[in-house]
Amino acid sequence: MIVDHYALVGLLALIGTGLSLLVAGLYRPDLPVVEVPAAWASYRFGFPVYALIFLSFDMEMIFMYPWAVVFADLGLEAFLDMLVFIAILSAGITYAWKMGGLRWE
Amino acid sequence: MELTLRALGVLAALGLAALLTHFFEPAALSDAQERGPATPAGARGPVELAPNPDRWMHPAGPVTALLGVLFALIVIPYGPDLVPRDLGIGVFYFIVVVDFVVLGLSLGGWGANTRNSVDVYYRATAQLVAYVVPLGLAYIGAIMMARSLSTVSIVDAQAGMWFVVLQPIGFALYLVTGLMQAYRPPFVEPFAAFIEHGVYGASFAWQALLWRLALSSLLFLVAAMGAVLYLGGWRGPLLPGPVWMLLKTFGLMAIMVWGGSRVPLLSTGRMLELSWKVLTPIGLANVLVVGALILLGVGPS
Amino acid sequence: MSFAEAAEWFAFVILAVISVAGALGMATTMSMFRSGIFLMASFIGVAGLFVLLSADLLGLLQVMMYIGGMLVMILFMVLFSHDPGGSMMADMDMSLIERFFSLGLSSSPDKEGMDMERHGHDGMDMGGQGGHDPMDMGGQGGMDMSMTTPVKRWAAALSVTLGGGLVALLLLRPAWPTTDTTPNPESARMIGELLMSKYMMAFEGAGLLILIGIFGAVLVARPGAYPDRDARDAYVTRDLPPAPIDEDPPPSADAHVPPEALEEVTVSGAHRDEAGGPPPQNETGQAASESLDRDS
Repeated sequence: MIVDHYALVGLLALIGTGLSLLVAGLYRPDLPVVEVPAAWASYRFGFPVYALIFLSFDMEMIFMYPWAVVFADLGLEAFLDMLVFIAILSAGITYAWKMGGLRWE
Repeated sequence: MELTLRALGVLAALGLAALLTHFFEPAALSDAQERGPATPAGARGPVELAPNPDRWMHPAGPVTALLGVLFALIVIPYGPDLVPRDLGIGVFYFIVVVDFVVLGLSLGGWGANTRNSVDVYYRATAQLVAYVVPLGLAYIGAIMMARSLSTVSIVDAQAGMWFVVLQPIGFALYLVTGLMQAYRPPFVEPFAAFIEHGVYGASFAWQALLWRLALSSLLFLVAAMGAVLYLGGWRGPLLPGPVWMLLKTFGLMAIMVWGGSRVPLLSTGRMLELSWKVLTPIGLANVLVVGALILLGVGPS
Repeated sequence: MSFAEAAEWFAFVILAVISVAGALGMATTMSMFRSGIFLMASFIGVAGLFVLLSADLLGLLQVMMYIGGMLVMILFMVLFSHDPGGSMMADMDMSLIERFFSLGLSSSPDKEGMDMERHGHDGMDMGGQGGHDPMDMGGQGGMDMSMTTPVKRWAAALSVTLGGGLVALLLLRPAWPTTDTTPNPESARMIGELLMSKYMMAFEGAGLLILIGIFGAVLVARPGAYPDRDARDAYVTRDLPPAPIDEDPPPSADAHVPPEALEEVTVSGAHRDEAGGPPPQNETGQAASESLDRDS
């Protein structure tokens, strides 16, 4: 059963958190520490276009994982469907590239 | 109970992986100028603390990263029946939980509230934006040939021929994006010396220990998943499964780390450019090529 | 109740608590970053509930969206808002819930004025703020900003009523259809087959939607009609070195800005401003023309 499989994940989550707390409680060597001012600096956001394109392609990856599992059993038709999908997305990347969006500011 | 045994097995795997990587990695990085997560404790500067850290987010960082690495160790097979849990969607699950490490870097970096650590947060998120899509495309080739998302099925599908022979482009893509995922040179900017070695510069001692554990295991995991996807996992003629698995994992780790340390370091902007202008188109082309190969009958039946 | 069932109940309770507490924390905490993280935690709780219902691929898709996608969105939010860390709010009067979810935030020790240029927020601008501390608003503490609106109580009452109404609709529904079939463990294969057969139009349509999203992203960032440096340089003239002092005309005669300086400012990394905002002042023109050479 699927749910039983993930019981290990839950158990490991509990064990991992417990271990971390244990380490936090026990391992306390003295380290040299320096006080620095808090981070009020203004950062430039260098990659907004990259980030938004990443979000779009993340959606694409969602579709590609199930497709990849069933592709070999469905043959040419599935291949053509994905060809169209990839062509659409490649058009997107090409547009962004040629418009100069793929740049770190 | 059986579940506890499996959990203990995962913990043992974590300890072993981190320990072996901890001693193996500096040997492969010997003449690199920037060691990234492998920076030894003596080479790091003093810990920087801000007057007002976020006291929930800052400790949550390394804990989240450790949890991510623990979860990811579940699906790595070490032998014919030696996998802590064969999830039906193993490979997809793996890629998702390794993102927990990035989440941990964000929490820890932001929570510490020093200028350098918030810089780590930005750069780590930029690296996430760079690596996820090409890495997924590198996985997809192997998934297509194996017809399954389960790591055990992918290893079984390579009984005839390893996927590295059938999909060399995919393998090369995995080498590069795996390095990006593991924050090793040349993609090491979130851990560079000029920002006080990343989260190490803003963590208390126990946090630095957990970070070291998580990041070493992350490199092991990336190499192990590469061995599973492209090098046939535990399959091999004479030696038992786990031995082959370790050999392949550390071999791949050596190739990746050694090769990566020879290349000049990439800044975050160049890395994003590389990822979106080169790696993603190559990945998409790889998917189409592998699709054509499968339609022509190449690969496991 | 067998051990497995008890464990399942226990997991359900924990995940439900995480989902609800995450949503509550998102709405009441004083730090914007924490708000995003609480939303992430809430949806990871929901993803766990999906897994409990044997929809493991959907649950993990949820987690992937909310870690990959939402981290990036939180980054956007952090860079374009002031006080993302909540330290300005940390000293305010807060209700009990707000205080609970804002534990661990502490206020910034230095509240002197910090001079920072603020560009106008037209679409997406390249300035921004990181870090926990806000730009100073006149040197006061957090009391000047009104974090509470007069309708807060009404909004809370309305949302509780609506939520209660929806839950009542669910519970009092006449018949819940139940099936005895066990869920198919091969969820990825099933979803793939459905995608390829029944939902093919949705599949391709999603591709088109994603394409439109990419167009929007490129438009909002507005790289402009000069996509690279050579094209840009071909269009604008380079700034000459400034004339020595005694050759400058007296200020009263000539109060307008020479056109090259204006173009330099527009082009120096902030060319996305050209569609909006007034031409910048002369003193920033000089500084910006120097920064053009550093522009990478």
